[in-house]
Amino acid sequence: MGGGANKPELIVNGKRLDGRAFDELREIKIEANTVKNAVGSAYIEWGNNKILAAVYGPKEALPKHVSDPEKAIIKCRYQMAPFSSLEGHGRTGPNRRATEISKVTRETFENVIQLDKFPGSEIDLYIEVLQGDGGTRAAGITVAAVALATSGIPMTDLPYGVSVGKIGEQLVLDLNMIEDNYSDADVPIAISPRQGKVLLFQMDGSMSREQIMEALQMARKAGEVISKKQRDALRLPYEQIADKYKAVPSNQPQPAQA
Amino acid sequence: MQRIVVPGEELADKPLRIDNTIIDGGRTYSTLMALYDDEKKILTPLEGLWYPRGGDNVIGIIEEDKFNVYTVALDAPYRGLIFSKDVEGDLIAGDIIEATVKELDKTKTAMLARPRRLSGGKILYLKPSKIPRVLGRGNTMIRQLSMETQSNIKVGMNGLIWLNGGNMDLATRAILTIQDEAHTNGLTERVKSMLEAGKKV
Repeated sequence: MGGGANKPELIVNGKRLDGRAFDELREIKIEANTVKNAVGSAYIEWGNNKILAAVYGPKEALPKHVSDPEKAIIKCRYQMAPFSSLEGHGRTGPNRRATEISKVTRETFENVIQLDKFPGSEIDLYIEVLQGDGGTRAAGITVAAVALATSGIPMTDLPYGVSVGKIGEQLVLDLNMIEDNYSDADVPIAISPRQGKVLLFQMDGSMSREQIMEALQMARKAGEVISKKQRDALRLPYEQIADKYKAVPSNQPQPAQA
Repeated sequence: MQRIVVPGEELADKPLRIDNTIIDGGRTYSTLMALYDDEKKILTPLEGLWYPRGGDNVIGIIEEDKFNVYTVALDAPYRGLIFSKDVEGDLIAGDIIEATVKELDKTKTAMLARPRRLSGGKILYLKPSKIPRVLGRGNTMIRQLSMETQSNIKVGMNGLIWLNGGNMDLATRAILTIQDEAHTNGLTERVKSMLEAGKKV
């Protein structure tokens, strides 16, 4: 939360600096299966954010003492590339911020992945921010959900993330970097759309109780758009091939049900 | 009519007992990327992992030779184990073997039986969810593949395929096509014409 005399004007003529309305998302493009070597992967362009996510595993958890005999563990690494932003993010290797975001991302996914199906194993989740422009943890969760879905790891839901902030007394959706730096509050939220459960809720700055409820509502409304983008990205590669041969199958042999 | 579903997508507004689904609040939801047939109530995973079952044929690579067991890498969250007494001759680390899953123990290790060493050839890593399509109904697809390419092909349910001899390039191309187009119609005919065209070259 920046402040003081140098704080720039973030709302000009009733619009935000990039011309968006208060409840408008930046443009989102998601592509599934982008890393060939990974079990599952995805790439997102969310405004100027460019983020790659890759999933490896489940495999035997190593070192042995970190494994859980009851369920799988998730090892999540969120990292910003050294060239990803104007600030010093990522330039000095793993830092406090990356460690924190890795932790909250891991905890988000612990709620949706069926970990008990793979006792003693680990799932590696890598989120690499190639270009950052505010809201990377929310975008990272959104793209990681797609990557996990392409990996075939069973999940009860496809969570998404989005941030809501406060400029003056005005709530705004999906902050970019400059808004993030100088706003009065920044609230990244991750939601499991099927159940409507909030999986991540962090707040930098302050908001009143009413504002928080309104922020959640804005996030849920935006989530309908984000969820659709996620689902479309997952379906697209299959639909492209199926369209080529003009029919979705009905007579293929059924695999052994797991 | 089948539709593509994603994790968390509703399949039915009533509880159905289908694998790879969860029931929540009396409704059924998918947990995988899959094809769902609303009429037949069949969920075919598009992406999925291999869960060992007794009788599954697997291809693995010997990882370690311990005192009385061999550990086998199966490219899965489960490790394979073979008792030395079941092995004729000697195996060394790096050997490719074909074996059958005998049982799963409590630590989710797959006990393997009847190991056969496979020498030469090469291994393909496929998505385990596509293996049933590579085999085909009643193993018709794989039989056609080996016949047309004269290649010796062993398929593991864990997603590993071993090939040796014959026209391996053609067989590889055909298998990768099957993996990519597993969810489409008329695949058998397309693979057949691909094999015939490939033979003439």
